[in-house]
Amino acid sequence: MRRTLLLSGLALLMVTHCGYAQNLPFDMSPERPAQEMPPAIPDQPSDGSDDAGAAQNASVTAPAQNFRRFVLPGGDLSLSGEIAERAWSIYLTPEQAASAATFNIGYQNSILVAPEASRLSVSINDVALSEENLSSAEGMAEFNLTVPKGLLKPGANLVRLRASQRHRTDCSVQSTYELWSNISAEKTYLDFDGSRAGIFNGIDDIRAAGVDEKGLTQFNLVVPAMERPAATVPLMRLAQGLAVLANMPSQSVTIEAAAPEQARPGHMTVLVGTAGELKPMLPELPAEAANGPIAVFVNDARSGAPVLVVSGPSWEAVASAIESIVAPTDAGPNSRRDVIATQRWHAPDAPFLFSSTDIRFSQLGVKTENFSGRRFRTEFNLAVPSDFYANAYGEAVLLLDAAYAQTVLPGSHIDIYINGNIASTVPISTPGGGILRHLPINVTLRHFQPGVNTVAIEAILNTDEDQACVPGTAASQTPRFALFDTSEFHMPDFAQIAQVPNLSAVAGTGFPYSRARTPVPVFVDRIDSDTLSASATFLARIATSAGHPIPIETVASPSLIGNRNAIFIGALSQMPSAVFTQLNIAATNQTVWGGGESAAGDDLETREAFDEWRGKLRGGAWNGQVTAIEDWMKRNFDISLSSLRLTPADEVSFSPAKDTSLILAQGASPEENGTWTVLAGRTGKELRDGALALTARENWSRITGHVASYRPDAKAIDTVAATRVELVSTQPPSFANYRLIAANWLSSNILSYALLLAGLTVILGLATALLLSNLGRRG
Amino acid sequence: MRKAGIILFWAFMSFCVILLITLPINLQTQLIASLVIVTAMAIIKILRAEGKWRLIALAFGTAVVLRYVYWRTTSTLPPVNQLENFIPGFMLYLAEMYSVMMLALSLFVVSMPLPSRAASEDYFPTVDVFVPTYNEEAGLLANTLAAAKGMDYPADKFTVWLLDDGGTLQKRTSTNLLEDQAARARHQELKALCHDLGVNYLTRDRNEHAKAGNLNNGMKHSTGELIAVFDADHAPAQDFLLETVGYFEDDPKLFLVQTPHFFLNPDPVERNLRTFERMPSENEMFYGIIQRGLDKWNASFFCGSAAVLRRHALDETGGFAGLSITEDCETAIQLHANGWNSVYVDKPLIAGLQPATFASFIGQRSRWAQGMMQIMRFRFPLLKRGLSIPQRLCYMSSIMFWLFPFPRAIFLFAPLCYLFLDLQIFTASGGEFLAYTLAYMLVNLMMQNYLYGAFRWPWISELYEYVQTVHLLPAVISAIINPRKPSFKVTAKDESVLVSRLSEISRPFFVIFGVLLLALVVTIYRVYAEPYKADVTLVVGGWNLLNLVLAGCALGVVSERGEKTATRRVKVSRRCEFGLEGKWYPATIEDVSVYGARVNVFVQKIPHLAVDTRGEIRFTPYSGDGEPEILPVAIRNNTVSGDIITVGCRYLPEVARHHSLVADLIFANSKQWTDFQLSRRGNPGLLRGTLWFFGLAFYQTSRGLAYLFKGTGARLEAAREGNRS
Repeated sequence: MRRTLLLSGLALLMVTHCGYAQNLPFDMSPERPAQEMPPAIPDQPSDGSDDAGAAQNASVTAPAQNFRRFVLPGGDLSLSGEIAERAWSIYLTPEQAASAATFNIGYQNSILVAPEASRLSVSINDVALSEENLSSAEGMAEFNLTVPKGLLKPGANLVRLRASQRHRTDCSVQSTYELWSNISAEKTYLDFDGSRAGIFNGIDDIRAAGVDEKGLTQFNLVVPAMERPAATVPLMRLAQGLAVLANMPSQSVTIEAAAPEQARPGHMTVLVGTAGELKPMLPELPAEAANGPIAVFVNDARSGAPVLVVSGPSWEAVASAIESIVAPTDAGPNSRRDVIATQRWHAPDAPFLFSSTDIRFSQLGVKTENFSGRRFRTEFNLAVPSDFYANAYGEAVLLLDAAYAQTVLPGSHIDIYINGNIASTVPISTPGGGILRHLPINVTLRHFQPGVNTVAIEAILNTDEDQACVPGTAASQTPRFALFDTSEFHMPDFAQIAQVPNLSAVAGTGFPYSRARTPVPVFVDRIDSDTLSASATFLARIATSAGHPIPIETVASPSLIGNRNAIFIGALSQMPSAVFTQLNIAATNQTVWGGGESAAGDDLETREAFDEWRGKLRGGAWNGQVTAIEDWMKRNFDISLSSLRLTPADEVSFSPAKDTSLILAQGASPEENGTWTVLAGRTGKELRDGALALTARENWSRITGHVASYRPDAKAIDTVAATRVELVSTQPPSFANYRLIAANWLSSNILSYALLLAGLTVILGLATALLLSNLGRRG
Repeated sequence: MRKAGIILFWAFMSFCVILLITLPINLQTQLIASLVIVTAMAIIKILRAEGKWRLIALAFGTAVVLRYVYWRTTSTLPPVNQLENFIPGFMLYLAEMYSVMMLALSLFVVSMPLPSRAASEDYFPTVDVFVPTYNEEAGLLANTLAAAKGMDYPADKFTVWLLDDGGTLQKRTSTNLLEDQAARARHQELKALCHDLGVNYLTRDRNEHAKAGNLNNGMKHSTGELIAVFDADHAPAQDFLLETVGYFEDDPKLFLVQTPHFFLNPDPVERNLRTFERMPSENEMFYGIIQRGLDKWNASFFCGSAAVLRRHALDETGGFAGLSITEDCETAIQLHANGWNSVYVDKPLIAGLQPATFASFIGQRSRWAQGMMQIMRFRFPLLKRGLSIPQRLCYMSSIMFWLFPFPRAIFLFAPLCYLFLDLQIFTASGGEFLAYTLAYMLVNLMMQNYLYGAFRWPWISELYEYVQTVHLLPAVISAIINPRKPSFKVTAKDESVLVSRLSEISRPFFVIFGVLLLALVVTIYRVYAEPYKADVTLVVGGWNLLNLVLAGCALGVVSERGEKTATRRVKVSRRCEFGLEGKWYPATIEDVSVYGARVNVFVQKIPHLAVDTRGEIRFTPYSGDGEPEILPVAIRNNTVSGDIITVGCRYLPEVARHHSLVADLIFANSKQWTDFQLSRRGNPGLLRGTLWFFGLAFYQTSRGLAYLFKGTGARLEAAREGNRS
């Protein structure tokens, strides 16, 4: 055992070392990895980022003050439970890496966190910077860490925050849910000495776009001629290219005619237009813009921040300047990603599983860990393709290497969660401690969805000490549980076929648009700032999921689309009604949504509340027994009348609730082999705001099914599951795949299996009767 | 062509069903599918649909079983790196797969049991009737020989031979003085008996190749076209030859006509559980269904007695085979492999005895099991050239049946692995257990009941297997390890149990029962002490409880009941006259046994009847010339009710003809045996049968324990007495 541990530890070291030495922020682009850049030397104005011939090296200087970068992607970070960790990477320009930096962290913790036994550790590139006691329950506390020189590297740098928290008084498992520390996004940042850190030199530095104090990233495209119809396609392409390069979790794109007044962290201004159009806005416009395509960073004297200038003498030149930025992010015709890049918000990247695979925990970023508390939790990410079709039947296997101490009582258990849903429970049933060696745990794939999925492992450990809970028990450091990184996740071969509609495929991997070989027709109802911004944000989000920009063309009318995959974006009033009809959405009145009185979510909330009350009022010995059996049945089988179906039910026409501002819907094209996706807002403004909200990471990952709608008042996404699903083949015909597809279809249409089996068996019985009366002796 | 088409179609349908069955569907789907199929099967069963429906029901059952096999194979085996779980887990898996394979083979065998066909009449070839004997007493032989001699067949066409292996030259000149004297006396006695009955007596020089050698010796000295074989205690009915010989004319390649063995006395299980009168005998399943099923595939085999064989066929393979100690089955394999055919006639035409004590019952079964293991080793039928594929499967089914002690022992001890040692040898959740295992077990029971319902009541197979396993397991293992070692031992059938006692080989049963009882206590303890895995504990505990019920019932089996009458009485109801002191009274014979009869006599003035008063029964035998004949008896007891006096009497055979009369009374009429069998045949159904069995098991457990404590008490008493004196 010990040797295995040592070896695997070594393996882990090598893996991490390679990971960060290579600094590969992208997997698909043929461009040079960042670390090949020479170390930044302040005197050297340019680093030779000459991706395109037109790109120029025009270094610019920012105002002489400290340059600040916020580091929390996605806003405030809550570290909850007894053990919580978050690792992600931030991309630093060579200048930033070379600058002296301090790391400021602001946090507040729950009053119940015991300060003497609770710690927050900070590390960068796996070098521990500090370990602070968590002792700020009253208000926000900040601490300042000097980042050792040479620790930061150009390119991706791994930041890791880890909280180990213990309760002041309580030893129960329940009490661990009261433990939290909130890391403030606003107060957590890197301060770089001097102004050079603010300088953006080359196109690669787009990756260092960063986040604002709320954890958001915004590309402000300033396009004086944005209403030119010919500009739309290059602008969308630029938006996608920028988004793919930066690859931050929550990105938005605005397209305006005028430049914003002020530069803000996490906001990158991009001026797009001919030299003639841009000159009035930017006096510093390089002269080369009048001669040929350029894409360079220029320091804008007005805002004092670098702006990306994409220009040329004509729009053709502008388009080729855009190409110089975007082309490197294009995927090869047959490329397939090995991982989905998530490291900007969750390191390491999620491995992409296409078929039967075994992955060690060490490869998933889960380390061997000894744990002395009562609720151990760790999680990792995995990605599955858009044509994943194993929700109904599939089971993965987790081969767990773990150990638990003698003090751990039977009745403790290890739970596996997929995307927050419980997927398996393993009871610890042998007293006296034990070592689990590759203990197979079947994990249902029901909650897997295309794209990134989070698998969490939680161990609930009961002990006599906790029951007694004498002072000091909670803080005890005696290990009770260990998880070893030699554990493995085994994904079996799964059925692969695309479903239409399936919004989670769009959300997860940009499918089916990600596989487009020819430009995808996009219907944009009008060319104004709101609609273009919404379109750019939405397409940029799809491109990020796909890992590469989607080639698009604009179409003026749905009739030109025919049977292809297409996207429709616009305000409700402008949307062709045929599209809604095709998607089975009741748009009775095209200025307000249909008659849906209450949002689906209200119903849900009421039901949840009702269930909760019912749960509270349960009691009594006999009642308890009956409920226990009922629960057991429910837990094991979860059969409802609706699941007892022969074929999928007919789809009910969807009508959005009144307080919905935006819907995203998907359906099959009229001849059923294309996929149409519609993004429609009540008004242009709501379309823009809604698109922004929808594409934020926490919302985007919730998009699934047939329709997703956004209610701005509640800031909530409601989804409607698809009932009638078309299956669209994505794989070359193979018996093994068809078999698994049949398994999934029959597992979701339960009665058909029973009847099919019974029917075939009857025929077999008759065939046997016929056979037997022809074979052997006859009576 | 048509046949090939049908086979192809069947194969295609099987392929489709297997494809569907091996889909990795989820638990809910499995549950609903099982529910639908079990319900459909139950409906067909309740409606007692036959013909095509029978096969559809079996196909339903097969589908559920195959789903279980698929699931069991793909997702329940413990991980290989946990050897302590994997090894017992894999053994359990093998045991289950054995059961499934046996189910498949028996489905094949009995898929369409053949009814008996009519044979041609008026065909009277010459027949030699062989009655091989080794150590049976003369009285028993006299009945058999008399019954054989009394068969309805042209007298010049058949010869009865007593083949005596107990009076061979080797025995008569043994260096063992006692053996030598006994053999000489036996030789003389039997010679005289044969002379009286008009039967040929034949013995040989050396006891080589046991029964097979004896029969072969008989063949050497006789010339009949056909050979009928009866065990020493198997007395044929009058119509035996008429019912069997005709088939040999119809099929010139026929080597065997086999008929069922019908027993007049209960086996120890039936006797100790008192089920002989009510429940079909153990062997009725074999003779009532399985042999008929084998007959469909031309694979019914020779069972050592009650059969007619063709001399020409036997000559071709060098007579009866003697490599194994089950020469009968071995001979049949050889002849089937040489292209000869067999026929089975489903009508009891002989009546015989079976072992009365549990120990001799086990001895008999050990011989069968060991012999079958020898055949498996020496004549492996699956690869035997000349056999058709169905015949190979049929023989494999018959032979591999005798491997049952292995799975039975594993099923017995598997739950203990969990209850005592906390090993996880079967990885499944409670829900999976419900959807797969329970459905499988239910379907298994339903299929068994469907196939054999009228012949075998629920749980009786399991009981028989269990009671044999304890002693058969070592026997089978020894035969597998050393297949040349087992030698032919003649089963004693004429013992009787006069005093209630525990069988001399009963101890292991009590030990096992104790262990299982302890496991039950552990189950209850663990359900309360470890509520978090109560569902698994309950499932395993339930399994153990089932074993405990079987083991408890077996305690009754090994507790031998004492019986006053040595042999079973057969109801006859035959008119006769009873002679007492020279006067004849009208009477009916109520029932008869090989030793005596009970007669209802109509008397107006009842005389005083002392014990051992001599009387006479006058009746018309089936075999005579239509004239009434007289059989002398001694009165043993009598009861009076009104004008009827019921007299129990013992035969006093004085001349050979008296033996023939006794045989005529008991054996001549084969219809009475069929009627008796039909009277206890009847399917109680799964539910009623199970309830009945559980009740029986409960009672037998208490009886077994009572015998144990009484026995221990008596021994203690005796010890104390011994000390005092």
